Amino acid sequence: MNMIARRTFLQTSALAAVAAAIGARGASAQEPLGIALVLPSPLGDVGWSHTLAAGLDPVKAAYGDAVKITLLENIAEGPDADRIMNKAVADGNKVLIAGSFGYQNGAMQIAKRDPSVTVLHASGFMVAPNFSPFAAKYFQGTYLLGMAAAALSKTGKLGSVSAFAIPELITSVNAFTLGAQAVNPDVEVSVVWVNTWFDPAKEQEAAKALIAQGCDVIFSNAQDTPSVIAACEEAGVYAFNLNSSMKSYAPTRYLGCVATDWSPFFKASVDAHLAGNFVGANAFLGVADQVVEVVDWSPDIPADIMARITETEAKIADGSFTPFTGPITKADDSEGVAAGASMGDAEIVAMDWHVKGVVTPLPQ
Amino acid sequence: MTLRLVRREKASTRMAVLAPLLALLAAMVLNLLLFLAMGKDPAAVFHAMLLEPFSSWAGFSEVLLKMGPLLLIAQGLAIGFRAKVFNIGAEGQFILGAIFASAIPVYFPQATGAWIWPAMLVLGALGGALWAVVPAFWRVRLNANEILVTLMMSLIAIQVLNYLLLGPWKDPMGFNFPQSVMFQYDAMIPILLPGTRVNVSLLIALFSALLAWAYMQRSFGGYQFLVGGLAPKAATYAGFSEARAIWLSLLIGGFAAGLAGAAEVAGPIGQLQRSISTGYGYAAIIVAYLGGLHPVGIVASSLFMAALYIGGDNAMVSADLPVAAVRVFQGTLLVCYLAAVTFVRFRLDFGASVEGGRV
Amino acid sequence: MSAPLLSLRGMTKGYGPVKANQAIDLDVAPNSIHAILGENGAGKSTLMKLIYGVEAPDAGEVFWNGAPVHLHSPGEARRLGIGMVFQHFSLFETLTVVENISLIVAGTKATLAARIRELGRDFGLEVDPFAEVHALSVGERQRVEIIRCLMTEPKLLILDEPTSVLPPQAVGLLFETLRRLRDRGVSILFISHKLDEIQAICDRATILRAGRVTGNVDPREHDAHDLARMMIGRDMPPPLHPDPVEPGEVRLELSGLDHAPDDPFGVALQGVSLSLRAGEVLGIAGISGNGQSELSRLISGEVRLSEARRDDVRMLGQGVGHLGPGARRALGFAFVPEERLGRGAVPEMTLSDNSLLTAHGQGMLRRGFIDRVREAEFTAACIRDFDVRTPGPEAEAGALSGGNLQKFIMGREISLRPKVLFVAQPTWGVDVGAAAAIRQRLVAMRNEGVAVLVISEELEELFEVCDRIQVMHKGHLSASLDARTTRAEEIGRLMIGADGVAA
Repeated sequence: MNMIARRTFLQTSALAAVAAAIGARGASAQEPLGIALVLPSPLGDVGWSHTLAAGLDPVKAAYGDAVKITLLENIAEGPDADRIMNKAVADGNKVLIAGSFGYQNGAMQIAKRDPSVTVLHASGFMVAPNFSPFAAKYFQGTYLLGMAAAALSKTGKLGSVSAFAIPELITSVNAFTLGAQAVNPDVEVSVVWVNTWFDPAKEQEAAKALIAQGCDVIFSNAQDTPSVIAACEEAGVYAFNLNSSMKSYAPTRYLGCVATDWSPFFKASVDAHLAGNFVGANAFLGVADQVVEVVDWSPDIPADIMARITETEAKIADGSFTPFTGPITKADDSEGVAAGASMGDAEIVAMDWHVKGVVTPLPQ
Repeated sequence: MTLRLVRREKASTRMAVLAPLLALLAAMVLNLLLFLAMGKDPAAVFHAMLLEPFSSWAGFSEVLLKMGPLLLIAQGLAIGFRAKVFNIGAEGQFILGAIFASAIPVYFPQATGAWIWPAMLVLGALGGALWAVVPAFWRVRLNANEILVTLMMSLIAIQVLNYLLLGPWKDPMGFNFPQSVMFQYDAMIPILLPGTRVNVSLLIALFSALLAWAYMQRSFGGYQFLVGGLAPKAATYAGFSEARAIWLSLLIGGFAAGLAGAAEVAGPIGQLQRSISTGYGYAAIIVAYLGGLHPVGIVASSLFMAALYIGGDNAMVSADLPVAAVRVFQGTLLVCYLAAVTFVRFRLDFGASVEGGRV
Repeated sequence: MSAPLLSLRGMTKGYGPVKANQAIDLDVAPNSIHAILGENGAGKSTLMKLIYGVEAPDAGEVFWNGAPVHLHSPGEARRLGIGMVFQHFSLFETLTVVENISLIVAGTKATLAARIRELGRDFGLEVDPFAEVHALSVGERQRVEIIRCLMTEPKLLILDEPTSVLPPQAVGLLFETLRRLRDRGVSILFISHKLDEIQAICDRATILRAGRVTGNVDPREHDAHDLARMMIGRDMPPPLHPDPVEPGEVRLELSGLDHAPDDPFGVALQGVSLSLRAGEVLGIAGISGNGQSELSRLISGEVRLSEARRDDVRMLGQGVGHLGPGARRALGFAFVPEERLGRGAVPEMTLSDNSLLTAHGQGMLRRGFIDRVREAEFTAACIRDFDVRTPGPEAEAGALSGGNLQKFIMGREISLRPKVLFVAQPTWGVDVGAAAAIRQRLVAMRNEGVAVLVISEELEELFEVCDRIQVMHKGHLSASLDARTTRAEEIGRLMIGADGVAA
């Protein structure tokens, strides 16, 4: 059995020898700006990770060889992510985009240790001079889709397959509910919290459960796979999702997509980094910032409703309307927002209650 | 002419030396084509995968960090595997260990004192062992297959973790994200190598390897495990209790995995969260077998597997290799290694003549 | 002599430093029954493996009907017309006879069943094609194996110790079959170490000792003494006729033991009673598979009874039915099981480590750790005192021949200085010389006042060592018979249940 120890020792030496042979590559003449994007799920054709990566395309187009983009997909939150982000920075990447909430602690440590690095962090709440959290105002889009959903629903029961009960996703569900109530005050919304961003089987199962309960429009909330959409098409119920269009998975039953385009934000951040005037701030971006836009509207939506939707969208864009305008009653019948008042960004990003009409209690 | 494998009279020392080199060479050649087809620079990939884990102290410290839990879990599992008790639920025992350890900082976030992290490790190890009690009891009393029960217990462990993180143990300031509070300073295992993330738990893992060696190679208890695994009827004939072997196997495995889980949350992670294990419990099964179920072999194989993981991460970061191609390389290397090791005990026979007596 | 069917010239095969076969020449004539005679470890099995293509020789030539051939695999051997019946059968117990045969031989079940009946009629191998194998006696299973070989119409049939598993009555039937096969043009290679059988049936005998041919004779022209000398290289030890000694106190007692085993194919024991005293040898006769292995497990403690039934097995004055093997050993019990590899010894472990299996109480442990020096000393003493032929304590148990391993296990158990010694099949597959030594040991133990229990299928052996004999049949144990006054035929009748159920 000493054999094995020896064998592996030799193996180790062999690795070193091979490495020495291929090592020592020359560095290139001019150093491009390294941008590393760390993603929590595999880089598919659709979904969250795909949208983030696509957001860097205009940056690449604008700067060409002056930037070098490294995509790091399917990185589990935890010590592995910390190591990979550290490694990416040690390799000379100066802009780090941490594409999941769970990367927050590790990414913040890097930002604090190395002020020359600019960190953009998805969905978080920490801010530092070189560290910006960023999030999309999905709720602006889900409100509009709520209106469409209520118009198309026969049962008056709507459903959502949602990842985690964090404020960002809660606001999406709430706005969806409020939008639906604007068309049909009696709708009910059921939510399944699947506690995963990426688990096709589980998501599909959840969608089927909602459909079985009579829900005939399903909101795939922050799911990074098209499985909910595909399951709905199969069952003949409408569905919509966030980030990037999944119309090809539901050619007849696709209600629309709350699409996100991160390129304006990424481009601006890279510009600022290169100009040396980047300032970390909470970036909460929506329709007005051209980050959020509803695309691929279903042709089945009645014309009168579509007209109302278009009107509301314009009001959201010019700031004359926000979905979280009172009076709003909480699910426990207490007052959420007083009549005439509306919630500010700071309240929205910390929202931890359901509006009345969401029948599933919020997980404790 | 027929080609067949013939068992050697004795293991070939030359092949034992050559096997890893051949495996590495074969894996490199096979993947070279893949990398070229993908338009990636093979030199950059091999540099990142094979050299970088060893070329810098920072890189190597990450290998050691990854090695710790693999080593600890694999040592515990190997003892049971040698008695043919197949605990494949180390993942769940790891998670329970992490949960038990986290109880202290979650309930006493303000507590200070040098006792905290050792107490967390002890509690975590007990938690892992506790999780193994169920399959042991069911196997001994109901003859329920421990492979299935340990696996199912892992699924339950994940749900227990989710429940705690989404409910009672959720960080009140954490925006409803499923994770606990960050642990206080005294709930973190002291760093062993300054400037790295390697902590004292690596020493514990290495010490466990020493214990495992003494137990399996020198003690009568370990001998009884071996007999039970090699010849169950002989163990019955000798009067070695099968129930005892099952209990000990599972408890030792659970204890080690629980300890590893505790060391992970009290080490590089620093809080209880959903992704505390990136499949350590399953990877350790491979590590245990790759190390020939021998305590010394497992030290080597855990280092090897850790380097393989770190090298893969490096290739993604430095050589722009997609994660799928990294997994392909890691998989090919493992398969080539297992194939090459076959030739230590076997040789190819080309259906040669009757006179062919070379060995 | 007509031109040989099979000729071997200079066959040599070594395993590492051990030469199992050295320059073996062998000619098997057509229409003959040819014996390969030799002690265990003499190289008989290796030679058969070479002929059947299981192993390749290091050197030597094979001629089939005068033409040189190379045998790379059993498949090739079968194509030439060589069939082999192994000592340990390779039948699936849950399948029927015809299903077992259809795994090897092509054809519909109906045609196969017809051929099975036809071969059965022609050669005295009657067996029901649709019977499930687990329901067949050992003799019937052997017939199935032979039929399976005959299906491929062999010219040469190799039988590896075919009589070792058969009761005396079945041996006669087998011999009749073999004679008929010979007369129909099938030559037989008959491997054995039983001299009387070889003299009864064989036309020619090639005798091996230590891997070399030491004789090639017509066995009918030599007496057993000559053959034995060629086989073991020295004179046989004189047969034992132990004088009775006055037995002492009862050391092992079963009274009306009933037991239904967990194994669905096991034999239920019904009302088994025996009483064994210090200073006597009690033999249990019977054809294998009549409950002996169930009985041995109950006596050894490998199968335990409930606490309430502890007195069903009494050992050294106390009820031990609920105790495991370790506790019984601690009382002064020692046991040599019939399966040596995998039960009495761990094949992959060294002899030293196999000593530890039961003799760990002999000062080999220190605070739970193994004292390697003491272990090696004990093992070396065993090897020396019991004439185990092996390179040393570090040899793997699996590398020893059956007889040598048996001597080692006997030695280990006797070294425990037991008060009750239980030996199952003491000389199964053991060569004549070693068997005689083992029997002498058993009697010597008795003379020292040990209570000795022996299970054996070989009646001669039981008559040689036992004071009393009881016969096992279908889970029942007969009353005790005095070995000095009872005739073999009487025991034979009990073995096949001809006397009805004995009490």
